[in-house]
Amino acid sequence: MKINRKLLKTLIAGVFFGWLVSSCTTTDSAMKKEAAAPAAKPAAKMAPAKPQGVRSPSMLANTCAGCHGTDGASAGDAMPIIGGMEKEYLQLVLAEFKSGERDSTIMGRIAKGYSDNELKAIASYIANQTWVSSPAKADKKLAAIGKKIHEKRCKTCHEDGGRVQEDDAPRLAGQWPDYTMIYLKDCHKKGRRCLPRKMGKRVSELSEKELQAMAHYYLSEK
Amino acid sequence: MAKLTRRNFIKATGACAALGTAAAFSPASFGKSAKGRVIVIGGGYGGSIAAKYIKKADPSIDVTLIEKNTQYVSCPLSNEVLGGERDIGSITFNYKAMSQNHNIKVVHDEVVEIDAANHSVKVAGGNQYQYDKLVVSPGVDFRFEKIEGHSAAVAEKIPHAWKAGPQTTLLHKQLMAMKDGGVCYIAAPPNPFRCPPGPYERAAQIAHYFKRHKPKSKVIILDAKDKFSKQGLFMQGYKKFYGDTIEWVSGANGGIIEAIDADNMTLVGQVDEYKGDVLNVIPAQKAGKIAQMAGLTDDSGWCPVSQGTFESKIHKDVYVIGDASIAGKMPKSGYAANSQGKVCAAAIVATLNGEPPGEPSYVNTCYSIITPDWGISVAAVYQLVDGKIVGVKGAGGLSPMDASAETRAIEVQYARSWFKNITSDMFT
Repeated sequence: MKINRKLLKTLIAGVFFGWLVSSCTTTDSAMKKEAAAPAAKPAAKMAPAKPQGVRSPSMLANTCAGCHGTDGASAGDAMPIIGGMEKEYLQLVLAEFKSGERDSTIMGRIAKGYSDNELKAIASYIANQTWVSSPAKADKKLAAIGKKIHEKRCKTCHEDGGRVQEDDAPRLAGQWPDYTMIYLKDCHKKGRRCLPRKMGKRVSELSEKELQAMAHYYLSEK
Repeated sequence: MAKLTRRNFIKATGACAALGTAAAFSPASFGKSAKGRVIVIGGGYGGSIAAKYIKKADPSIDVTLIEKNTQYVSCPLSNEVLGGERDIGSITFNYKAMSQNHNIKVVHDEVVEIDAANHSVKVAGGNQYQYDKLVVSPGVDFRFEKIEGHSAAVAEKIPHAWKAGPQTTLLHKQLMAMKDGGVCYIAAPPNPFRCPPGPYERAAQIAHYFKRHKPKSKVIILDAKDKFSKQGLFMQGYKKFYGDTIEWVSGANGGIIEAIDADNMTLVGQVDEYKGDVLNVIPAQKAGKIAQMAGLTDDSGWCPVSQGTFESKIHKDVYVIGDASIAGKMPKSGYAANSQGKVCAAAIVATLNGEPPGEPSYVNTCYSIITPDWGISVAAVYQLVDGKIVGVKGAGGLSPMDASAETRAIEVQYARSWFKNITSDMFT
């Protein structure tokens, strides 16, 4: 089952990659990172002239850095690190911000400014960056409590201490704890209305201190 | 003044023609691998980003940043210094990472001449630099002459604090020295000006300080305008947290200030005179001095540019970004300058690589902090339509009026993280 899913993802990635290259300028830094990948070389050679009116992935995604840090490596404790998160997850979240399905303070307003294809390009570009974990230091006691809760409630989806990103599970390991808390508190409040619903139920059963423990546990797993 | 400078500039150009040629082949800029030489003037929210993102996209381009100051004090979040929520050190940065991490040559000197015809820039220290592309990001300059009795010298007593640094510290000290029961007047400038929500966030931050330390005091905004950015959200926040402490006088109701009597600490309006204990007069604005000097401005005092690349409509190979530029529907904000810096960088990189500039994309986000737990924001996504920057319909807009207290508190957290990230985008 898992292998199949991975295969599928590789295929999807291939399709997106082709699309990405076709809308990339040759001076694009996204291009260079793509070009470093083994499959990229033949594609780079045949990269066509950029069609007029198409905004390159780096052009689109660099506008995110004002809030999320250069290449999505957030330096602000309330703003999530997004660089290096999995493309499918980022695509899903951006689509949900745009549709309004996912609540936000500001991302809904911003996501509506892009076409679906542009959001996919942004997701691909950000996913292609290197994950840089938060430099914050985890509270060891809290992290130990969080680890126990994780083992019991979270690890089936958030494998390997929140490091594995599969089935639309975001990377949690090394994330800013303040951001994780913002998300968990919101989820706690919403209960079953939280996305995904099975997580909402599990989170709503925890105390605020336990939520904090979760945030520090995932930070400690960087 | 401008004419005199121009005359000097022509003279200097003649005298330095030989020197200019020499500079073109100086070791610093010589090298066959370099695709081109870019000079960026001004290391603020626009210039630092243009320099960094040119290098990021194409390290073979030679980039020199010329900035007068060795330290940069951010205007965004400087109102929190007045509110007592942060010290000025937390909004102060340096340029070390520019050279260390990005191989940008940083020159701390003042530009005295731009010779667009010869593609050269001269600094006060005497050096001359040749460029293929020049980015000018000079910020704003003040039109003191619009208020009788006002001048740069008067601003040493009656601060504008609209360029962060010693002016911020001066206003902060005056507020701290003020007696309880005093009145602080903020004279808000006419459009267009740097940071449209800024004066109104400042009123809230000063009221926040008064509430805790001088509860009988008042903040009165004397406005040259009849409406302002995020007005509904500001008025809601003022009422909720500061009651009568903050008062707003629109232009139509006598808010327009025509003169300053500095000796008597009095602002003269069209109808009334306002005697205050602390006066914060934010003058009308125009493009920064270097843009004026280089003839990059039009009659409006701002710089007309091709809005898809930010190349000046007056001088070829010179680009103007940030507050000084005329950038369609974008406000004069830090985020806008950041976004413009990236569009400009991409256009320059493309051009130096013999390619047409790509299609641009721009964003603006402005947070305002009304209390440490009550933040509001405005955002917009922009595109280029028929050569003009316009907002994408259906996107952007204000924080909702009916947001929960939790949401408002999160917006403050986001405002502060935004600051960390946008300054790390510039200075790391």
